[in-house]
Amino acid sequence: MSKSVMSVMQERDIQKRTFMQKMFKIFGKTGTYAFLFIMALIVLFPFYWMIISSLKTLPEYRQAIPTFWPKQIIWGNYAEAFSAASLAELFTNTVIVGVASTLLSLVITVLSAFAFARLEFKGREAVFGAMLATMMIPGELFTITNYITVTNLKWTDTFQALIVPFLVSTFYIYLLRQNFMQIPNELYLAAKVDGTSDIKYLWRVMIPLALPTLISITILKMMGAWNTYIWPNLVAKNLPLITNGLRNAFTDTSGQANYPVQMAAVALVSAPLFLVFLFLRKYIMQGVSRSGIKG
Amino acid sequence: MVESRHQWKAWLYLSPAIILLLIFTVWPIFNTLRMAFLDGYGNMAAIGGRTFEFGIDNFVKVIDYKDFLLCLKNTAILCVATVPISTILALLIAVALNSIKPLQKTLQTIFFLPYVTNSIAIGMVFAAMFNIVGLRDGGTNAQTWGIINNAIEFFGGEPINWINAGSTYTANIFVMIVYIVWNALPFKILILLGGLQSINKQYYDAAKVDGTRKFRVLTRITVPLLSPMLAYVIITGFIGGFKEYSSIIGIFGDKMSAPGGESLNTMVGFVYDALARDRQGRACAAALILFVIILIVTLINNKFIKKHVHY
Amino acid sequence: MLKRILATVLTLIMVLGMFAITGCGESTNSTNAYVVPETGFNMDEPVEITFTHTMGAKLQGVLDTYIAEFNKLYPNITITHQSAGGWGDINGQINTEIAGGTQPNIAYCYPDHVAMYNIAKSVVVLDNLIASDMKIGDTDEIIGLTDAQKADFIESYYNEGKVYGDDMMYTMPLNKSTEVLYYDKTFFDANGLKVPTSWDELWDVCKKIKEIDPDCYPLGYDAEDNWFITLCEQMETGYTSAKDGGQYLFNNDANKKFVKELREYYQKGYFTTQELYGSYTSNLFVETTDTRCYMCVGSSGGASYQMSNNDTTDGSFAFEVGVAPIPQANQNNRKVISQGPSLCILKGSNTTDQQILASWLFVKFLTTSIDFQAEFSMASGYMPVIKSAKENENYAAWLAKANGKEYLVAKCVQVGLDNEKDYFVSEAFNGSSTAREQVGSLMLKCLSAETDNVDKLINEAFEDAIAECEY
Repeated sequence: MSKSVMSVMQERDIQKRTFMQKMFKIFGKTGTYAFLFIMALIVLFPFYWMIISSLKTLPEYRQAIPTFWPKQIIWGNYAEAFSAASLAELFTNTVIVGVASTLLSLVITVLSAFAFARLEFKGREAVFGAMLATMMIPGELFTITNYITVTNLKWTDTFQALIVPFLVSTFYIYLLRQNFMQIPNELYLAAKVDGTSDIKYLWRVMIPLALPTLISITILKMMGAWNTYIWPNLVAKNLPLITNGLRNAFTDTSGQANYPVQMAAVALVSAPLFLVFLFLRKYIMQGVSRSGIKG
Repeated sequence: MVESRHQWKAWLYLSPAIILLLIFTVWPIFNTLRMAFLDGYGNMAAIGGRTFEFGIDNFVKVIDYKDFLLCLKNTAILCVATVPISTILALLIAVALNSIKPLQKTLQTIFFLPYVTNSIAIGMVFAAMFNIVGLRDGGTNAQTWGIINNAIEFFGGEPINWINAGSTYTANIFVMIVYIVWNALPFKILILLGGLQSINKQYYDAAKVDGTRKFRVLTRITVPLLSPMLAYVIITGFIGGFKEYSSIIGIFGDKMSAPGGESLNTMVGFVYDALARDRQGRACAAALILFVIILIVTLINNKFIKKHVHY
Repeated sequence: MLKRILATVLTLIMVLGMFAITGCGESTNSTNAYVVPETGFNMDEPVEITFTHTMGAKLQGVLDTYIAEFNKLYPNITITHQSAGGWGDINGQINTEIAGGTQPNIAYCYPDHVAMYNIAKSVVVLDNLIASDMKIGDTDEIIGLTDAQKADFIESYYNEGKVYGDDMMYTMPLNKSTEVLYYDKTFFDANGLKVPTSWDELWDVCKKIKEIDPDCYPLGYDAEDNWFITLCEQMETGYTSAKDGGQYLFNNDANKKFVKELREYYQKGYFTTQELYGSYTSNLFVETTDTRCYMCVGSSGGASYQMSNNDTTDGSFAFEVGVAPIPQANQNNRKVISQGPSLCILKGSNTTDQQILASWLFVKFLTTSIDFQAEFSMASGYMPVIKSAKENENYAAWLAKANGKEYLVAKCVQVGLDNEKDYFVSEAFNGSSTAREQVGSLMLKCLSAETDNVDKLINEAFEDAIAECEY
C-alpha cells in the first residue's frame, strides 16, 4: 500500500471520527432534551391536575371518568376560596412562622454542621451518630410527649409553639455537613494562621461555598411551614396556618371536602411561594465558580 | 480535621441543637422506650388510671402478629426498589439539567413546580391515572381503563388491573414503587443539583481538553465529586423508605390494600394502627424493632459508602 | 462511625427500660355518673368553655347565630369554637389533648371516638344532669330535661347515647343522617316496577331491571361495611357487643350465609359498590348516557350528589328521583343504620363544675332548640333530632317543597323523619372501629375474589377478620 493511500485512508478515518463525534453530540443533545421533556411532563402532571381541579364544579370533579379540561371554567372557586377562609390572616401567620423558623434553623444547622465537619472534639462521632439515629424512629410517636411539653411550657397559641420544636433537623445538619466536608481543610488552616475567627471564616468562606445547599434547605424548610397540618391544629388553634386554615374551612358536616375550592385555595397560596422559588433558583444555579478551591 | 485546643467551642456551636434535641426528640424517645417496656400500655388507659407491669409482652405481641412478616416484606420491597431507581433518575435529571444551555431556565422552573403542588393533588392524580372504573365481565370490560392503560393499549398491550378489586399483589407493589419514586424525585433533584453547583468547573474544563467521553465524565468525575451528596441521598432515602406509610394510604386508603386484596401494610402502618387502638406500648415496641433494622441497614450502607465517598 | 452508637443506644435501651418500671399512678374508681353539685349553676360567675367540631364555614355561621342567642339567656358563659378539620382528624386531635389535659369542654363525636375517650374516663356521664330538677340560678328553668323535652327527642337517636355497654348516657344527638334507597322514579313508573321494601323484593326488582337493561347495575350500594352491619342487625345474627370491654360476634354461619348470597347476586351483576365500581356509585345513578344504576343506597346526607342532572336543553330534569327507606329482612324488626354527629362533654383534672354545667346547658340548648335544629338541618341536609323542629315555620315551608327534583335534600330529610323508629347504631368500644373496617374488607373479598371453593374463601375471610379484630 502506498503512502498516499495510507494518508487518504487516515484522513477518511479522521473525518469519519469527527463526523461520528458530531453525530454523537447531536444525538446526545437530542436525547438529553427528550429525556428532560418526558420527565418534566411527568413531574408537571400533578400540578396541572391541581389547576384544572380548582376550576371544576364539584359534580364534574366527582365524575367517574375524569375530564382533562373543565367543561365549564369556574373562576368562582377562587372567589369562594378568598372569602371563605381568612386568607390574609393565614398568610401572615404562615409567613411569620416560615421565615422565623427558616432563619433560626439555618443558624443552628450551619453551626452544628460546622462543628461536625471542621472541629475535632471528643465524642464527635458518637454525638453525630446519635443524631442520625434519631431520624430512624417514626416522628409521630413524639407527638403526644411534645404536646405535653409545649402545654407545660405554657406555649399554647404562641408562635414559639409552632417554631421551636422543629428548629433542629438532623436531616439538614447531615446534608450540610456533607457539603462542608467537601471544602478543603487547608482554607481553614490558612484562616487560623491569619487569626481569622471561626465565625468570620464561616461567613466569608464556608457559607458562600455551600450556598446552593443552604438554599435547598431554605426551600424545604419554607415548604414545611406551608404544609404542616396536625401540629398547628393542636397547639395554636388561634394562630391558624395556611394548610389547617384551608382544610378546616371547606368541609361539610360529614367532614367531606369541597375539593375544587380547596384546590383553588391551595393554588392561590402557593403562588407567592412559587415566586420566591423563582427568585432563589437563580442562586442555586449560579453555583460556585471561584477558582483555587477544590470541588 | 483540625484538633482544636478549645474543645468547648465545638460544644458551644452544637449547644442550641443539642438542647432542643434533648427536649423535643430525646425526651420523647425516652417515653417511647418506657411505653414499649410496659405490658399492654395504652395512653388513654393510663390516664384512666390503669397500671402496667414492666415486661417484654409488647415485643412478643408484635412478633406474634400474623402479618408481621408481611409488613416487613412490604417495607423491604418498597425500600430496596425505590431508592436506587429514584437516585439514578434524579442524578440523570440533575446532570442533564446542568449540561444544557437553551431552555435551561424553563426546565429548571418546571422541575421546581412539584414543590408548590399540594400533596392532596398528587394523590388524586395517581388515583385517576391507574384507576379502572366499572370493571366487569370477569375483568374483560370496563367503563374507563384509566390513562395508564389507555397508553398501554395505544402501544398494543393488554390493559392491567393495577389497584382495583381483583388486582394482583405485584401490580399493587408496582404502582407503589412508581408513586414513591415520583414523590421522591423533586427532593433528590434539588439536593443533587445543589451538589453539582458546588463542583468546580475546572474539572470539567480539564476533561474537555482531554476529550473525555460524556459517560466517562459522569462516572469518573461527576459521581465521585458528588459522592457525599449521593451518600446523603441514599442513606436518607433508605431511612425514609423504611418509614413508608402515608403514600400507601394515599392510593389504597385506610385499609392499605386493594379492595379484597392482600395487605400492603408496612411497619410504620402497623405503628399507626396500634396508636389508633390505644396500644402505644405495641406501637413503640414495633417502632424500636424497626429502629434496630434501620440501624443495621444504615451501618451496612455506611460501610459500603465510606469506601466510595470522597470529601 | 455508627458502631459506637449502636453500643450506646443498646445500653441506653436497657437502662431506660429499667426506668420504665417506675411511674404510673394508681387505679381510680370505676365509671360513675357525674354528680351535680348542690350549689348548682352560678349565673353570675363568668365561665369560658370550648367546643371542637368539624363544621365548614357555612355551618359555623349558623352556630355563631345561636351562640349569640344562647348568650342572651346566659350572658356569663363565653363559648369559643373551632373546627378540627374532617372526621379523621378530630379523634386523633382530642386523644392528644386529653393526654395533655387540654381537651375541649364539648366535642363533636361518633360512638367509636367516645369509646376511646371513655378509656381515659374523660367523658362526663350525663344521667344525673338529665335527671336534675335543680333550678338554674333564680330562673324557673331546671338544669335537666323536662319530660316534654325528653319525649320530643326521636327516641332511637336519643338512645345512641347509651351504646357503651353499661346503659349510661354518654352523648346527646346533634343532627343525624341515615341510609336511604334512592331510585329512578321515572324509570320505575314507566316499567311498572314496585319499590322494594324487603331484600327478596329487591332481588326480584334487580332481576327485572337486568332484563330491561342488561348492561346496567340495577343497584349501587355505597358502603359495604354499613350493609354488613345493617343485615346483622335486621336478622339479629350478631355483630359486636360492648359488654366486657367488647366482643366480636360476627363470625357465624348465618352471616356467612347472607354473604354467600350477596356474592351470588354480585356475580350476576345485580349490584356494585363504591370500592368495587372504582368511583362514587352516585355517578352511575345520575348519569343517563352511560352504564347506569336505577337504585342507589347511600347516606341521606349525600342527597345533593344523587340529584338528577338538569343540564338538558330546556333545563328540565332528566328523571325524577324517588326516595324510600332501605329494604328490610323482617318487617317486625325494622333497622336502618344511623350516622351523624353527637355531642359529648369532656372533663379533665382541671375542669370545674361550673364549666361542666355551662357545657351541659349549651348542649341542652343546641339539641332542644327548635330553631337551631331546624336551621341546622336546612343548612346541612342532616335530620333534626327533635320532632318539634317542624314547628319552625321556615322549616315547615322548606319540607313542604320536598320533591324528587330540585328539592331532593328536603325530600330525603322528610323520608328520614318518617322512619324515626327504625334507627340504630352498633355498640361502641375500643375495637369497634376495627370491626367495622374488617367487615368492610371481608365483604369486598367475599364478593369479588375469584375462587373454585366459595365456602373456603368465605370461611377464611371471616377467620382473618376475627383474628385481626381480636389481635
